[in-house]
Amino acid sequence: MNPLKVEGIVKQYGDKTAVNGISFEVSEGEIYGLLGANGAGKTTTMRMVLGLIYPDEGQILYNGKAYSNNELRNLGYLPEERGLYPKVRVSDQLIYLGQLRGMSKKDADKNLKKWLDRFEVPEYYNKKVEELSKGNQQKIQFIASIIHSPKIVILDEAFSGLDPVNVELLKSTVKELRDTGTSILFSTHRMEHVEELCRNITILHRSNVVLKGSLKDIKKQFPKERVILNTENEITGLNQIVGVTNVVRHEYGYEVGIANEAVGGDILRHAMGQSTITRFEIKEPTLNEIFIKTVGGDSHE
Amino acid sequence: MNSFWTVVGFTLKNKFRAKAFLITTLIIAIIMTIGINLPYIFSQFNSGDKVSQIGYIHSKSAEDSATGDQLKAYFEAQEKSDIKLVPYEDKGSVSENEKQLKQAIADKDIVGYLQFGKMSENGFPEMTYKSEKLMAYESTSPIQSALQIIRQGTILHDAGLTAEQLALLNAPIEIATMQISATDGTTNVDDGKSLEQQAVNMGLVYLIVVLLFMAIMITGQLIASEITAEKSSRVMELLITSVSPLKQMFGKIVGMFLVGLIQVSVYVLVLIINVSLPHNNKLLEQFNIDLTKIDPKLLIFAVLFYLTGYLLFATLFAAVGSIVSRTEDLGQAVLPITMLSLAGFYISIFSITSPDSMLVKVSSFIPFFSPFVMLLRLGLTDPPVWEICTSIGILFVTIYVAVWISAKIYRTGVLMYGKRPTFKEIRKAMKAYKI
Repeated sequence: MNPLKVEGIVKQYGDKTAVNGISFEVSEGEIYGLLGANGAGKTTTMRMVLGLIYPDEGQILYNGKAYSNNELRNLGYLPEERGLYPKVRVSDQLIYLGQLRGMSKKDADKNLKKWLDRFEVPEYYNKKVEELSKGNQQKIQFIASIIHSPKIVILDEAFSGLDPVNVELLKSTVKELRDTGTSILFSTHRMEHVEELCRNITILHRSNVVLKGSLKDIKKQFPKERVILNTENEITGLNQIVGVTNVVRHEYGYEVGIANEAVGGDILRHAMGQSTITRFEIKEPTLNEIFIKTVGGDSHE
Repeated sequence: MNSFWTVVGFTLKNKFRAKAFLITTLIIAIIMTIGINLPYIFSQFNSGDKVSQIGYIHSKSAEDSATGDQLKAYFEAQEKSDIKLVPYEDKGSVSENEKQLKQAIADKDIVGYLQFGKMSENGFPEMTYKSEKLMAYESTSPIQSALQIIRQGTILHDAGLTAEQLALLNAPIEIATMQISATDGTTNVDDGKSLEQQAVNMGLVYLIVVLLFMAIMITGQLIASEITAEKSSRVMELLITSVSPLKQMFGKIVGMFLVGLIQVSVYVLVLIINVSLPHNNKLLEQFNIDLTKIDPKLLIFAVLFYLTGYLLFATLFAAVGSIVSRTEDLGQAVLPITMLSLAGFYISIFSITSPDSMLVKVSSFIPFFSPFVMLLRLGLTDPPVWEICTSIGILFVTIYVAVWISAKIYRTGVLMYGKRPTFKEIRKAMKAYKI
């Protein structure tokens, strides 16, 4: 039985439908990506999973059981809008939050120290949050959401506002959590993070599910439309090949748009006739492209 | 229940760690200490011999200077007088006298002098008091009243009254008052509240009403502003995913109540310590306060109304605090509640001399006023039992409703950001959430 199962939840605010029939399951030790443009309904979905809002229709099951206040202890939440008490010491408020989720003071203190060491900032224990830089506040916020070792963690925009070094640090932590069996519901606008971390994703667009499934399957649905071609000499006449939609010349070579995969062979043959080829690749669409295609396409209406 | 006390503890701990809170408490304690000891400090400064000397020209021939002599004799006869008249020799001419007296003022021998003119109809000569001070009432008014008494004495003496008759005329008249219950069946003559008991009860009512008002204003504001601060710093999103909003709200209310209680205890302690200092002993005796005269029943009611009144207003403050997203908007939003408590407070304080008026009777049943006003009635009059029960009953029902609504609003409000929501928006959103 999966730790988190969402079945066709619908939420309406007045006339506006915020979430329209979303279903997904997150298994143990899985990071599930919830993607969508701003205002697509991600936060509302997450709030429903957290039990803050009740869905109008559908249900959410936690290990097969409906929501109750006891589930709060199994849930960890990193909200998109960060927030901690600015004038309270890190140790005080994190132990407080740990205690609110049913930990003993001693355990909370132990976990806090462990995590501060993990993030290489043990000296923040006695600092006030307002004294920390934004990136470091982020780390503390992250600890706040996982200090009680929850079974289900919801990360809304986990890596925003962090420098590359800290992104890597947090990413490896998230992977660690996954490997210890935590189910993670993950939302971000950075598609490369999703490609790296998530097995299954759901893309929301205007309250509706537009794409859902494993990353691999989704990518297969989209045709390979780009060829990367690096050559030693200049190639001419790429435009004339049937099926080529556009040619962009880069510093390193060419990026050729193709109508279908078969055209790739024609390009290769054409290029071989003119020069030595250093690189030839028919590229899979990136998630970024898929996202823009499914979501961005009609947002310009 | 466990996390409820965690919230209470956290609220307490943070408040007592905050420098602003500690400093405020300390400053108020210091001001209180100074205030209580002020009479003593003042008495140290004017230690008896601060007598204003007033000069006048004494001439044997002139009739007018007889008044000066009379005044001199009068003030000398007083046990403790802060005015003393000093005669100066007549130098013959007005300008010479004037010069002599002015010199005396310059030499600090006298603070001013009296100049007599021609005889007027009231039996005394026209008088002018001259000094360097502006509006020297403190010097002229004792002289005025002294002259009044002198005149009275002269006339009565002329009428041929004896000294005993004079004393009888001036003897004070006293009426003892006792507050009784007209509906009470007992026929015991001594049953009722004597003047002293009344005074002590009135003092207690006064104290509780003021304390309740302070508790509502100070801790109520604190509750509201803390909730708004949690909301604007977005820590609220973490809190409501950690603990149920109801526990959170009441944890805050109870925590703040304890904060207020501890603060008030500190003040009371400072008060007791200061009053019981040896040099202030006399002061206490002067006021004739005997704390054993407090009616125990009234004390119980006082505590009851204090708690219920606080709870009622605190929940409302919490609800308002949860609706507002920015601290800047809070003042305006809590205004209606502040007005409500202010109204109750004023009705009670201004009716302390007329506790049986219609206004008091009616408002002692209105839940937001009753903690103030019913206590007043209980302390100063003897309201029928059914009225007390009705008032408390209405109060309890209101608290129940207020708690329910506040919890609903709180649950809804904490997640609403942006501009202050309208009532319609709140009502609509309330349906979406479960407590």
